[in-house]
Amino acid sequence: MKRKAFSAALLLLALTLIMAACGGNGSNSGNGGEKSNSPNGANTSTGDEGNKTDSTGEKVTIKMMHLWPDGSNSAQNKLVKQIISEYEQANPNVKVETEVLENEQYKNKIKVLSASNSLPDVGFTWAAGFLEPYVKGNMFAPLDDLLQGELKDKFVAGTTEAYAVDGKTYALPVELNIVPVYYNKEIFAKYNLQPPQTYEEFKNIIKTLNDNKVTPIALGSKDAWTGSFWYMYLADRIGGPDVQDQAVASSTFNDPSLIEAAKEAQELVKSNAFVKGFNGLSNDEAKSEFMNEKAAMYAMGTWEVPNYTTNPDIPQEFRDKIGFFKFPTIEGGKGNINDWVGGVGVGLFVSENSKVKEEAKKFVSFFVQRWGELSVTDAGIIPGTKVDTSSVNLPQMFIDVLNELNNASKVILYLDVQMKPVASEEHHNLIQALLGNAVTPEEFAQKQEDVLKTGK
Amino acid sequence: MDKVMSNKKIIALYVLPALLLILTIIYTPIVLTGYYGLMEWDGVSAMSFIGLENYATLMKDGAFWSSVYHSFLFALLSTVSLAVYMLISLILAGSIKGAGLLRKIYLIPMLLSSVAIAQLWLKIYHPTNGMLNAFLSSIGVENTPAWLSDTKLVLGALFVPILWQYAGFYILIYYAALKNIPASLVEAARIDGANPWQIALKIKLPLISEVIKVTIVLAVVGSLKYFDLIYVMTDGGPNGASEVMASYMYHKAFRGFDFGYGSAIGFFLLIICMLATWGIRKLTASDDTIQYS
Amino acid sequence: MKTATSAASPTAGTEPALRSAGTKIGYGILYFVLYSAAIIQMIPLVWLLFFSLKNNQEVFNLPPLALPKHPKWENYQNVWSQGNIERYFLNSVWITIIAVVLTILLASFVTYAITRMRWKLRPLVLGLFMTGMMIPVHSTLIPLFNLFQKVGLTDSQLSIILSYTAFNLPITIMILLGFYYALPREVEEAAIMDGCTVNRMFFRIVLPMTLSVIVTAAIINMIYNWNEFIFVNTFISSDNLKTLTVGVQNFVGQYTTDWGAIGATLMISILPILIVFLLLSNKIVEGIAAGSVKG
Repeated sequence: MKRKAFSAALLLLALTLIMAACGGNGSNSGNGGEKSNSPNGANTSTGDEGNKTDSTGEKVTIKMMHLWPDGSNSAQNKLVKQIISEYEQANPNVKVETEVLENEQYKNKIKVLSASNSLPDVGFTWAAGFLEPYVKGNMFAPLDDLLQGELKDKFVAGTTEAYAVDGKTYALPVELNIVPVYYNKEIFAKYNLQPPQTYEEFKNIIKTLNDNKVTPIALGSKDAWTGSFWYMYLADRIGGPDVQDQAVASSTFNDPSLIEAAKEAQELVKSNAFVKGFNGLSNDEAKSEFMNEKAAMYAMGTWEVPNYTTNPDIPQEFRDKIGFFKFPTIEGGKGNINDWVGGVGVGLFVSENSKVKEEAKKFVSFFVQRWGELSVTDAGIIPGTKVDTSSVNLPQMFIDVLNELNNASKVILYLDVQMKPVASEEHHNLIQALLGNAVTPEEFAQKQEDVLKTGK
Repeated sequence: MDKVMSNKKIIALYVLPALLLILTIIYTPIVLTGYYGLMEWDGVSAMSFIGLENYATLMKDGAFWSSVYHSFLFALLSTVSLAVYMLISLILAGSIKGAGLLRKIYLIPMLLSSVAIAQLWLKIYHPTNGMLNAFLSSIGVENTPAWLSDTKLVLGALFVPILWQYAGFYILIYYAALKNIPASLVEAARIDGANPWQIALKIKLPLISEVIKVTIVLAVVGSLKYFDLIYVMTDGGPNGASEVMASYMYHKAFRGFDFGYGSAIGFFLLIICMLATWGIRKLTASDDTIQYS
Repeated sequence: MKTATSAASPTAGTEPALRSAGTKIGYGILYFVLYSAAIIQMIPLVWLLFFSLKNNQEVFNLPPLALPKHPKWENYQNVWSQGNIERYFLNSVWITIIAVVLTILLASFVTYAITRMRWKLRPLVLGLFMTGMMIPVHSTLIPLFNLFQKVGLTDSQLSIILSYTAFNLPITIMILLGFYYALPREVEEAAIMDGCTVNRMFFRIVLPMTLSVIVTAAIINMIYNWNEFIFVNTFISSDNLKTLTVGVQNFVGQYTTDWGAIGATLMISILPILIVFLLLSNKIVEGIAAGSVKG
């Protein structure tokens, strides 16, 4: 008896090893079936069923990966399912298979897949710095023919550019956000405060709140990108709308206004503007300080707007208390009050090595259009495509945000998105160091420049 | 006996399945990690060979060395904590009423996944409404620390939950080892008038010395490549103050798209672990046991 | 802890009466400390239960050990109705069982061969196994994915089982080693004299004698496999093939996370291993008894 179990175990292993040994052949014959459309590298020619995509009636399976699990992003998840089923109905020969991973795991898996040259046919990417290595590595297909064709003039100006490298566009945005400063009207009213127009007023608000033992600003810069918002606004209001873009483009971080902004950020920390222990708090923890009305202000992307308007899990009384204001202007600074920190979020790419590239492109084109029509109302997401506010019924805060977007003099793309991956990582560290008083403003700028100069 | 026990076929039968499995599943990545470490590679585009340049950079990378320092500090602390775990195991394995129940309860936290443990300790350390600071203010401490955002405190604050998380693991091993000691030996010593303390030191510990050596290696290697709680609780921050080797490697490879450099870190970590293991073996070697390293 | 032990072990030479009084007080303190510690060790489970009954505001706002006014039992309903949780659960169970059995069996073979058999390559092979636990997991993802892709094992649970087995083998062998060295050899020598074959001896004598450490290693393996998610996420893409840890990620969103539901999922996923752990943990002691009977 026991001998048998032993030999069985041995056999199992032997089999596996044999499979491993004659790997090359095994993959081709084993992969010809229905789950075969992950591209196995450019030079392996697995069966030809995927190749003839243009002939209608041929069964085509498009693999798509996204990052909206039905538990936490159920609105987006449902919307994706709906659009897919609409597309499948209109194109009976096409089947779209999805794989869902949460944000962080999604990013990791995309990297593993691209290193093995097996990206899904369609998936989501982030703009600029994240996207660039994939473009350089020939992983994403250019989508300019779509943009010249059926998607012409559908996108908000300046959005698709964030996915462009050397004049070609490699992904199409489905999210567009700006970062307002949300505030609790009740707390403001209690201490007789008005949304600030100038930075002086803003500093007075912080002082008044502190004097009354109310945390002025909720910030969770363990997720350092949230701290970056504050730095970026200061840099814009002091140095004007182009200073940060130029700094990244030219890999120099020595503009005096950038150092001035760093000083100002440390001044804010010194004035106890932020919640205690902010460098050790996650964004979720910090947000709860605002949601629990312990902190009066919170700067975050407009993806939070549903929490203040439509989200049924949050008490109506709270939702009614929240408003937003624009980051105030600084006296003598070059920034405009209508400059916003923000930009596109994730966008859809088509894999360059996809065997169903043309079908995938068609699907992406359909997806972004339908998404544009439905996402604000169904999921509370502002799409990259133009939204006709007159035809949809939206809560006031959404309308306000959309109007601000229309009136924006400039949307400055998040610094960590603009920068290439290594520089972006370092930017996160430096923001924590700056706000934690671990570096001087000059060191902050110098180190940021050093890493930008490495070109990674 | 010798003849039976040196039959080549039988040895192969016992060793080869496992050996082939780890050679394919573990040594493929080890070899490839070494290989990628010699490359300039972002994980997407084609690789280019740059020789030892990644290692040269590594030697000059201050952030890396500070992560090495953190990892070693942590390895040292884990090793020292083994004494505490051993003490608890000795008590539990002794003639204590309700030892069975206590043992089970003591091991419960080890069943929790790192996600759960991280959430629990984030709540404990929360700067304003955390349990720890609530307790401190209740006994009159003003200016309670912000545990995870203070660069001086964060490392210590992280070690506590990690050591706590692993307590169950070592207690379980020690307990089983102690229970495996033939009762007759302990009984004989007791009749000779030895007290529990003497029995523990002179009889029990020497008998399980091999187990202790193994746990030291496990504690050191496990600490040197530790990742989980640090990643969830601080992500190596603020500003690298709680970065350890494995989290630094992750940041470089997966966040920074620098898989060549990340692999060099991974390979270097492997070598450090091997050296540490070798050192421990040398230090704890004794004549009467078979040298297996 | 320290005071408790020194109190429990009074210095030799004190008068018997004094000594017994001291011992009593010592034991009193010891028990007090032990049971207080036990209560503290129970807290995480209680906390997790309360956590699973809260919504996001309450998770962050209420003290960790406070129950919300209206316990959100719907978190459980929500978790159970969403996605594929029964499927994940079954996958977790069978993958864990197979990987644990395979690991323990293979590790026992190797340990037996290393501690009892005579062969030249022994130090090298042991070194190979020990080195196997020194590679950080994130270094292995890309090479392993490549490997599995070449042999057609991506999106197959076999890739998960093989990875769990391989990566747990070194640590399991290490744990077994210490015990095998301490195991008296007389029984085995006698058996060989009686003409017992090696295989027969291994299965009839050695495995039963090491039952307590096998159970110990099995518990450790089980916990590792049950909570693992990086390999699952990387190698598996079909939802039907994923395991329970994926259920947790289902509630981690792009910008927001549903903590209450995560708590409920964690609670659901901890119960089975808690039960198995309690059952197995008794076997540690029984195992020794069984071993000594054989001996």
